[in-house]
Amino acid sequence: MNRLPRVVSVCLLLGSAGLYGCAGHQNSERALQSASADFQKVKGDTNVLRSAPKDVIRAGELLAKAERLSGYAGSSDDVSHYAYLSSRYSAIAAEHSQLLLNQEKLARLELERQRLQLALREAKLSGAQQQGKWAQDQVISLSTQQSERGLVMTLGDMLFDTGRAELKSSANRTVLKVVQFLQFNPKRVVRIEGYTDSTGDSQENLQLSRDRAQAVADVLSDLGIEDERIQVEGYGDQFPVDVNSSERGRALNRRVEIVFSDEKGHLSAAR
Amino acid sequence: MSFLLRTRPLFVAMAIASLFGCANDPAPNEQLKLTEQAVAQATAVGATDDEPDMVTAQSKLTQAQAAMAKKSYKDARMLAEQAELDARLAEARELTEKSDEQLAQVNARLDRLRKQLGAAR
Repeated sequence: MNRLPRVVSVCLLLGSAGLYGCAGHQNSERALQSASADFQKVKGDTNVLRSAPKDVIRAGELLAKAERLSGYAGSSDDVSHYAYLSSRYSAIAAEHSQLLLNQEKLARLELERQRLQLALREAKLSGAQQQGKWAQDQVISLSTQQSERGLVMTLGDMLFDTGRAELKSSANRTVLKVVQFLQFNPKRVVRIEGYTDSTGDSQENLQLSRDRAQAVADVLSDLGIEDERIQVEGYGDQFPVDVNSSERGRALNRRVEIVFSDEKGHLSAAR
Repeated sequence: MSFLLRTRPLFVAMAIASLFGCANDPAPNEQLKLTEQAVAQATAVGATDDEPDMVTAQSKLTQAQAAMAKKSYKDARMLAEQAELDARLAEARELTEKSDEQLAQVNARLDRLRKQLGAAR
């Protein structure tokens, strides 16, 4: 009467130990299978073989080790461990391969970008020359406000269509001038500031001023000025240069200002 | 004489203890250093806790260090080995993600350029 529960409990204990051992073995089998599948995948990929041969070899070595160990009893922890390491190496190899492919693609696209930049510059130059009259001088006042803001160039309202952010082609010459200036002065950086008049919703004005400033920045960047040299700010209807009560005043207030840094790259603080 | 007799068991115990230590795995000092470097490197390229493998690497490294302190060297070695590769995978993932972003940026620029060229012609 007293012995029966003990026998039962011993049986239970043995049974659960067996189950546990079985579970460990199953886990290691599963890890081994998935490691093997991972390895087959990278081994069959010529790109991976080309770009990360060492990682593939390590994955193979560790997989072989895990397979060898799986023949021994009581080694399921080690099998799982080496299978895990092998899988990681396969994943690292795949990742390295993807990185290399991306880099190669980037290099190709970079060449294409340079080619397009050159073409665009030529197109803009010939466009500007065809316009002949160089009539924009009234639009551009390269005012030398050498005050605390530094050198400031104003792009007038006529360079944009009403309510639109895209630069008109009549801005080509101005923009080319700026690009040329920045290329001759490689340390200089610019802050492009957009402004509107006070008509309409001030939130929309803020957005429009930002978009216009960004449009100018995009063109500069497309023509080869590094993005790191260009800051963009939108001020909406703040900081008017004239009254908003007259048509003329409003036209003057709608503008994009390009603030240049000094030769050493020091830019005045944003407003 | 009585002094010797009293100290002898201590020597024996120490000898046995050192033998036992030898039979165990050696302390994986090098591996831990390697793992710490791998984690530091992954962090340096910008892998953060957003990267699940980075979280795994860090927690396994902490566990490995705890196992070191408890002198369970085999556990420490296995954990450190896994953490090293987790960190290296996190690093590789981070770099690939960054280059994916770069690709998207360049592609957007190219689109803009082509559009502008179309308008300029």
